[in-house]
Amino acid sequence: MKDDFLWVEKYRPKKIAEVVGNEEAKATFVEWLKNKRHTKKAVLLYGPPGVGKTALVNAASNEFGFRIIEMNASDTRTEKAINKVAGPATSFVALDKFSTESKGNLLFLDEVDGIAGNEDRGGVSAIVKIVEESRVPVIMAANDPDLEKLRPLKKVCALIRFQQVRIPLIIAMLRRICIMQHVEAEFEALERIAQNSRGDVRSAINDLQSLAEEKRVLTLQDTMMLSSRNRDISMYETLKGFFSAKSLAEASTLLSRSSVDYDDLLLSVSDNLPLRYTDSRELAEAYDLVSKADVFRGRIGTENWHLLKYFFNCLAQAAAVAPQSCKSFELISPPIRIITLFWTKGKRTALATICAKIGARCHVSRETAKHDFVPFVKIMLEKQKSNPINSWLKLELEEVDYLVKMGKF
Amino acid sequence: MVVLNKKAFKLPRVEKEKFILLLRLGLEYDREQGSFCISSYNNIERLLDTISSILNDEKVMFLQNCILCGRDFPCSDCKYYDLCSTKNLPFHCVCTQCLKEGRAYEDSDK
Amino acid sequence: MALDEEALMWVEKYRPRNLNEVVDLRDIVESLKAFLRTPRTMPHLLLAGIPGTGKTTVALCIARELFGQNWKTFTLELNASDERGIDTVRDRIKDFSRYSRAGFGNVPFALIILDESDQMTGPAQTALRRIMETSSRTCRFILICNQSGKIIEPIQSRCAIFRFSKLDKKAMVDQLECIAKKEKITLSPEAAERIVEYSEGDLRHAINALQTASVFRDGVVDEKTVLQVVGEASPKQVQVMLNKALNGDFIEARKVMYELIGAYGFSGSEIVRQMQRELLKVSYLSAEQKAELTNIIGEYDFRLTQGANSDIQLSALLAQFAKVGKSKGESN
Repeated sequence: MKDDFLWVEKYRPKKIAEVVGNEEAKATFVEWLKNKRHTKKAVLLYGPPGVGKTALVNAASNEFGFRIIEMNASDTRTEKAINKVAGPATSFVALDKFSTESKGNLLFLDEVDGIAGNEDRGGVSAIVKIVEESRVPVIMAANDPDLEKLRPLKKVCALIRFQQVRIPLIIAMLRRICIMQHVEAEFEALERIAQNSRGDVRSAINDLQSLAEEKRVLTLQDTMMLSSRNRDISMYETLKGFFSAKSLAEASTLLSRSSVDYDDLLLSVSDNLPLRYTDSRELAEAYDLVSKADVFRGRIGTENWHLLKYFFNCLAQAAAVAPQSCKSFELISPPIRIITLFWTKGKRTALATICAKIGARCHVSRETAKHDFVPFVKIMLEKQKSNPINSWLKLELEEVDYLVKMGKF
Repeated sequence: MVVLNKKAFKLPRVEKEKFILLLRLGLEYDREQGSFCISSYNNIERLLDTISSILNDEKVMFLQNCILCGRDFPCSDCKYYDLCSTKNLPFHCVCTQCLKEGRAYEDSDK
Repeated sequence: MALDEEALMWVEKYRPRNLNEVVDLRDIVESLKAFLRTPRTMPHLLLAGIPGTGKTTVALCIARELFGQNWKTFTLELNASDERGIDTVRDRIKDFSRYSRAGFGNVPFALIILDESDQMTGPAQTALRRIMETSSRTCRFILICNQSGKIIEPIQSRCAIFRFSKLDKKAMVDQLECIAKKEKITLSPEAAERIVEYSEGDLRHAINALQTASVFRDGVVDEKTVLQVVGEASPKQVQVMLNKALNGDFIEARKVMYELIGAYGFSGSEIVRQMQRELLKVSYLSAEQKAELTNIIGEYDFRLTQGANSDIQLSALLAQFAKVGKSKGESN
């Protein structure tokens, strides 16, 4: 039976002790949380992806009962946007009132190193300002804090480093999941998954799920199809991987690994969907999910990036609607919309000009002119090209020509 | 090769600048016991190198602590030694014994 | 060229030029005449109703009543859906009020007619309200909309609201016959009926249909001609797209959709609106299937307003049609 849940979600740590690896970092973090006399009221957790930084923050908030106000800084551009989210929150609880027993608020800025150079003018200094002015503790997470642009940040926060999670720990953790999922896994299989993950717990769990989902027994042989992990995947590879994904977990991992532009991806997925799902029921189901992803994209707009995970979740589900009907096909490229809009631009402009002229003469909007007048004017001009209305409407010859030749819409 | 225990280990006497460096790299010094312990792991690799240079460039290894059984053990025992990016560093791990016995990661209260 | 040259589209040629000529809107006209007797008492106006019921006509008549022959100088006509945003609206109003400061004669203000004001977003309307306030000494606004419910409360409370209802069939037929007489064309009663049926209460639409039909057969408009015109003027492509989808040919249906967007500049919501219309005309679907598809259209119509890409929502909608179409095939 297909499990609807991602195991990374299902086995998300709810207590600090459940976070695998980086015991030392965990201890330091807890100490920072508990310490009433904060020397630094902000802390920066840094280290490779998937090793438990975000998991630790969430587990701690769960265990100690404080509220997290989260913001994904890597997608928040400009000072204005950052302040809009983090601004009000920083005036809540006075710092000295904060303790792990009381329900306080914490500001959590994930992926602060995602702040690019030029695009996010004032991004880093805005964050520094937030930290300085904040009256609640600020937790930040980053993958690579050695970047020059984060130097101002490092001055105002304590640093806690996370390392790749060690293989034996990952194996032990995978084993726990297997027990809970009633999967009997060969030691060598778990070993291989752990080795392949390069210390990234999240991808290890995803790999486990994608291999063991439908099975009762997981053998070493099964793990042979694990490809080596590639950090940056291009659009072509992303699409290829997306449309050949055999499970939700596989699609999910792929999407989280890929660094392609979300909007381009959404469009290309939409284009190629009917090639992947030739059965109309499957296509309808997959398209419904892509449509939901688009709704999330609409809601994200330019600032609600915390909704991005739901966007990706819908896309991943769209990839896994019917794994059994997987086939290979030629990808559509470039996107249909781009080509169509490109070569029809002249037509659209011509029509728009005509509608503007009609609108001006008949006191209607261009849109009304298009739907309520153009069909009639066209017929009249077809019957009689020299109909005096065209001069009254001030239409040029080419415009009359265009209307006459234009296909009936 | 020198094996140290991260909870407390002693080093030969060093000059003031080196001492300050050690503290900056994450060590804490207990005057009464005359021993060091690790307080911050942020610069652990550099710390290891520094300690090594103090000990006449001997290879320095810290004992690992098994999170399941609590035992201390050296990295050299470990099957994944070559693959590990944090070998010999004083972190928690799972010992070969526990791994062989098929013990799973439990949320034990420590 | 004459100053007020003869308009050649009949919708313009036969548009009433003063309120006395406006038939069938007696109540509205009477109330407005009261304001027009003492112009300085005239408030902002909100004219609401379905398309083709006389709102723009009445607004233009008011302008003529107030300012006489040079009404164009003292009237700014704006269409909310044509302007790019509230800022352009504000700029145009600002420029306009600079030139027409003191009004004209005993009319101490200039007139701004803002059509399709319900197409403006909430924030844009809020900004509009501020503009109305700051320019209230020198300008009066006539807002025109289809749905007054879409106009924010603060604006509604500052306007006298007039509701325009669907013209009844007899009134429309009378209008068409009157125009036919003036244009010296023959219009059979059946043809007039057909036109009125087709226009669904939109007089503008009806007049356009009449004019087009008259061109077809040299001034003789009978039922057959009307049906021909109606057939030719109806959107074909949407029907084509729908049928292809229902036949399971998703990729072809999608091509048509992109053509509508690309070549004709149809908006997503316009396409959905037409799809709903065409759906009802499909002969080979049962009532239950049409109801199901109507629900689906409703769902995706909503998603269109929330989502980022209309073509993706439309594709998804077409996919749902293809699925229903397929199951119809299976059950047959």
